[in-house]
Amino acid sequence: MTRVVIHDPTLRDGQHAVRHQLGLTALRRYAEAADAARIPVVEVGHGNGLGASSLQVGQAAAGDDEMLSTVRDALRNSRMGTFMLPGWGTSEDLRRAIAHGVDVFRVGVHATETSLAERHLGFLRDAGAEAHCVLMMSHMATPGALAEQAARAVGYGAQAVGIMDSAGHFLPSDVTARIGAIAEAVDTTPVIFHGHNNLGMAVANSVAAAEAGALIVDGCARGFGAGAGNTQLEVLVPVLERSGFTTGIDLYALLDAADLAERELMPAPPVTASMSIVSGLAGVFSGFKHRVVELSAAAGVDPRDVFFELGRRQAVAGQEDLIVDVVAELSGRGTDG
Amino acid sequence: MSPGAGPTAARADVAEPVTVAVIGTGAIGRDLVSKIDRSPALDCRLVAGRSPESAGLRYAESLGYATSAAGIEALLAAPRPFDVVFDATSAASHRDHWPLLEPLGTLVIDLTPSRIGRMVAPTVTGVSAATGRNVNLISCGGQASVPVAHALAARFPVTYLEVVSTVASDVAGRATRMNLDEYVATTGHALTAFSGVSDVKAILNISPAVPPATFRTAVHARMAGADPVQVRAVADRAAEEVRCFAPGYEVTACTAVGDRVTITLQVMAHSDVLPPYAGNLDIINSAAVLVAEQYAARPDRMSRTGVAS
Repeated sequence: MTRVVIHDPTLRDGQHAVRHQLGLTALRRYAEAADAARIPVVEVGHGNGLGASSLQVGQAAAGDDEMLSTVRDALRNSRMGTFMLPGWGTSEDLRRAIAHGVDVFRVGVHATETSLAERHLGFLRDAGAEAHCVLMMSHMATPGALAEQAARAVGYGAQAVGIMDSAGHFLPSDVTARIGAIAEAVDTTPVIFHGHNNLGMAVANSVAAAEAGALIVDGCARGFGAGAGNTQLEVLVPVLERSGFTTGIDLYALLDAADLAERELMPAPPVTASMSIVSGLAGVFSGFKHRVVELSAAAGVDPRDVFFELGRRQAVAGQEDLIVDVVAELSGRGTDG
Repeated sequence: MSPGAGPTAARADVAEPVTVAVIGTGAIGRDLVSKIDRSPALDCRLVAGRSPESAGLRYAESLGYATSAAGIEALLAAPRPFDVVFDATSAASHRDHWPLLEPLGTLVIDLTPSRIGRMVAPTVTGVSAATGRNVNLISCGGQASVPVAHALAARFPVTYLEVVSTVASDVAGRATRMNLDEYVATTGHALTAFSGVSDVKAILNISPAVPPATFRTAVHARMAGADPVQVRAVADRAAEEVRCFAPGYEVTACTAVGDRVTITLQVMAHSDVLPPYAGNLDIINSAAVLVAEQYAARPDRMSRTGVAS
């Protein structure tokens, strides 16, 4: 049976759902539960990664150093992961994270911009840290283009490479084509898939990814994540096992961790709300949801129109300031340009 | 830049042109060559790169300029030092270039985020190079944000500043991509230096959107008692000054909610070689050329460089 390595970004990507306000006690409690469930990698940090606490995407309740040291203390068996976007975090942030005992780094870039990660992947390789590269907003690139970018990431030193369905736009056949193309292009390098649930396809897409050759699959407790949420971890693991893959995760402890996450991390588990469906269809990063809804309500415009316009402009994660312009334009005021 | 716009044109008919060399033949270098070509105050004597096949070198040749693929060595081998050298390479390369250029008495205008020279944002610092031989243009995001950040902090009790710039993928060259860390550090450093606000953050997005996104910079600030009308007036005044040398610079949106202010700036390129969305390159190059032109107008420059041309 093929082993699939589960990465759990509940304490990183889930931050988007609570405006990056997870406190240290919550981080510790969930990390202990995930560790008890033998989840291989527990990822932690601001939702947009190291150094990303900002007005643009949200200032975090706790600093990077505090979050990393808290989770490090809580993990006995699981490895600790963290995330970084070049242009947001820097090599200095990576250096500090290494000192805090991070085992696995994910360097995120837009699907066609792998060269932005060249220096940081090189830095991590030279520092002896395990470095992955993930291509975000991957629905915006063809399978061939993604395969080429993935091969480039491996050339820069990535020890695993893959895609995020940042907008939750994919259907299983889209995932099969993309993971298949990447797996072929990078040969023995493990391939990663990270799904979002905007169209209710996250678990199905993740199984499709594993069947197409992904060896690393992400899931979050209760699907905790931006918008409609991510792949629901405690569903994903038993479904993968039923599909013939092994994960090494303890089911009962996993279910306990998910229950704890629901009680202690989130005001309510994510649902596929109307706005998340629109975000997925429009191909807009799920993390834009709160700001789109807020700014649209204040200006009296339909947030669904805002999502489709942002999709038309091909906004990528990090461009939250563009929401202000789109809302102003749709409300017929406030722009000169 | 349109003819007759601003201080560049006003200074363009000064005494004798200064001799100029450009090192770096990416998009920045190419646009620099085109701007230098239009300036009567600047006499381009050499364009140097590293790759004989680069489009930038071919472009300089097409304008009739001497070119070399020998990089900094070509500049050092020139029979006489140039009055002005524009370094459009990378921060790491500039760290190597500066010790070689410094003994020559040349004015070095650094377009990389190396943070070696004195930082210049024309409307805030002026463009005089009197205090040093190395002038640093900070970054494209720094050029776009510093004028507004400076004006805001001078007028309001700003406690935090954050600058988020978005650059189209096809005008973010390899040096920009390799220099993201220096970009973040240097832009943040400039924000603090010119606003007095110690708590700052700089972020750079590279956008692959098609059609390409026009260069934009969002300046976020925290301040008590922000009135949107007053904030907009301050931003508009700062923008008007910048338009003297970068005519495509505009305030496109301004919001103030609670203690949080966001001013969005956009820069359209006015260039012979750049697409209109490449305002990131246009604003930093326009500032650099302005520094060189003002230097050309200085009556004492001959004695300072020791070059009898």
